[in-house]
Amino acid sequence: MSGESASAIQKGQVDLLDFIDWSSVECLNQSSTHSLPNAIKQGYREDDGLHLESDADEQLLLYIPFTQVIKLSAILIKGPEEEGPKTVKLFSNKEHMGFSNVNDFPPSDVADLSPDNLKGKPVPLKYVKFQNVRSLTIFIEDNQTGSEITKVQKITLYGTTVETTDMKGLKKVEDH
Amino acid sequence: MVLEATMICIDNSEWMRNGDYSPSRFQAQADAVNLICGAKTQSNPENTVGVLTMAGKGVRVLVTPTSDLGKILACMHGLEIGGEMNLAAGIQVAQLALKHRQNKKQQQRIIVFTGSPIKHEKKMLEMIGRKLKKNSVALDIVNFGEEDEGKTEKLDALLAAVNNNDTSRMAHVPPGPNALSDVLISTPIFTGDGEGGSGFAAAAAAAAAAGGVSGYDFGVDPNLDPELALALRVSMEEERARQEAAAKKAAEDASKENGGEQQASSQDAAMIERASEETSEAATKTNDMMDDENALLQQALAMSMDDPVINKDMRDTDMSEAAADDPELALALQLSVADGSEDSGSQSDMSKLLADQSFVSSILASLPGVDPNDPSVKDLLASMQNQSEPQQKNEDKPPNEEEKK
Repeated sequence: MSGESASAIQKGQVDLLDFIDWSSVECLNQSSTHSLPNAIKQGYREDDGLHLESDADEQLLLYIPFTQVIKLSAILIKGPEEEGPKTVKLFSNKEHMGFSNVNDFPPSDVADLSPDNLKGKPVPLKYVKFQNVRSLTIFIEDNQTGSEITKVQKITLYGTTVETTDMKGLKKVEDH
Repeated sequence: MVLEATMICIDNSEWMRNGDYSPSRFQAQADAVNLICGAKTQSNPENTVGVLTMAGKGVRVLVTPTSDLGKILACMHGLEIGGEMNLAAGIQVAQLALKHRQNKKQQQRIIVFTGSPIKHEKKMLEMIGRKLKKNSVALDIVNFGEEDEGKTEKLDALLAAVNNNDTSRMAHVPPGPNALSDVLISTPIFTGDGEGGSGFAAAAAAAAAAGGVSGYDFGVDPNLDPELALALRVSMEEERARQEAAAKKAAEDASKENGGEQQASSQDAAMIERASEETSEAATKTNDMMDDENALLQQALAMSMDDPVINKDMRDTDMSEAAADDPELALALQLSVADGSEDSGSQSDMSKLLADQSFVSSILASLPGVDPNDPSVKDLLASMQNQSEPQQKNEDKPPNEEEKK
């Protein structure tokens, strides 16, 4: 069991790209030339030449609402070695946060990214905290080297939806 | 048409008493604020605007972002001048007010009027600017009033720190005869609002500057009311065509006299004058023309009916004046005069007109739904021709004819 939780992605967990509500996605302090779709949209994120960049300083605040309620299990963040993110705080179901009040609430989870993670290893999250997620706020607090600009090449969210249970997942439980 | 929430920061410090902008710096500022509020709400009805003062006892929010223009204008009354402007605190409070706006989808914008010297350090202003940029708040600065070297430099630094893709702008208004609001209208602060804002600005500018002559042809915005604008344009052109025809006729008639030329040219001049005026005036003139024609027609009929023995020359001059206006009217008058001169006795000229079959058939042909070759119409015409017989017989006959049908 512990070996399974350490493995990259649990069975039945899907890429939540399809459930993102694109009309309300926001990103504060992004550079106008290198914006959020570069990191999360299908096709753009695969291209390593396109990345999301911060503007005035090294922090980034992403707000991602979903079209339905989901459970979040893991997150994958890819970035360059020096300017990639280091401390990433995740908040579930907090609307319209700003940089001023981001430290007023305890985060639902904190991910401390290692260079391995930046190469493509997903970070498992506290699943119990993300059982009923309508929107996710990702606060990138600093980067690996403390440089002025943080760069992110790809962000992928792994989880399941709540209403429609994956049939494969159902069968898997029965097998046990 | 960007959906925007705006906070306007007013400088009501002691420096605003100065009269180098008419009537006073403070009053000019108030006018500019009113204009901006109007432009913002017009460019998008969901836009909200709020106002705060930076000087006085401290930074005070007069009205939180609202789309109610009346509330904004009302709060501008009774503002007192005094104290010193606190730019940093003002901007920060404005940012806070915007953060708590009701509609989170609105873009955030702060418009600052800086008329007094700035006591903050450049570094502090840069930090504030960076914070604004980080929270995607745009900043417009209206620099007027006091001029010292440091002030412009500090404001430039602030603008550079905030600016993200030219969303933030600065307008510099030097003192002079032009009102602050007029100068502002031409700046990107107004025109940067896009279609609606620039339309409002254009209308306001036209109203203020040119003194009554609107920017549009007929005083009606074709965007607002295309049908009305089209109707006005069509009636204007019809009038012009009629004027030209009448002018041509007048020129022909009076070609013997030298005065005819002058009359035609004066009529042309009158036409041109009319064409350049607003349509409301053109419409009233059209109405006047109609009234004149009606009066002339009535006069002609009265003349032909009452007293046929009038000096023919006088009638001719009257006719030529009337004819100058309307060729159809001229034809009618000619017929009436001709008939009047023939038989001025018992019969009315109207019946004489009717007796002229060609005239009647031409009129009937122009009536919709009437075919001159229709047998009933032909009978009617025949009956009308027999009106030289006693009237009773005439009255009996047409009804009989019609009853038979």
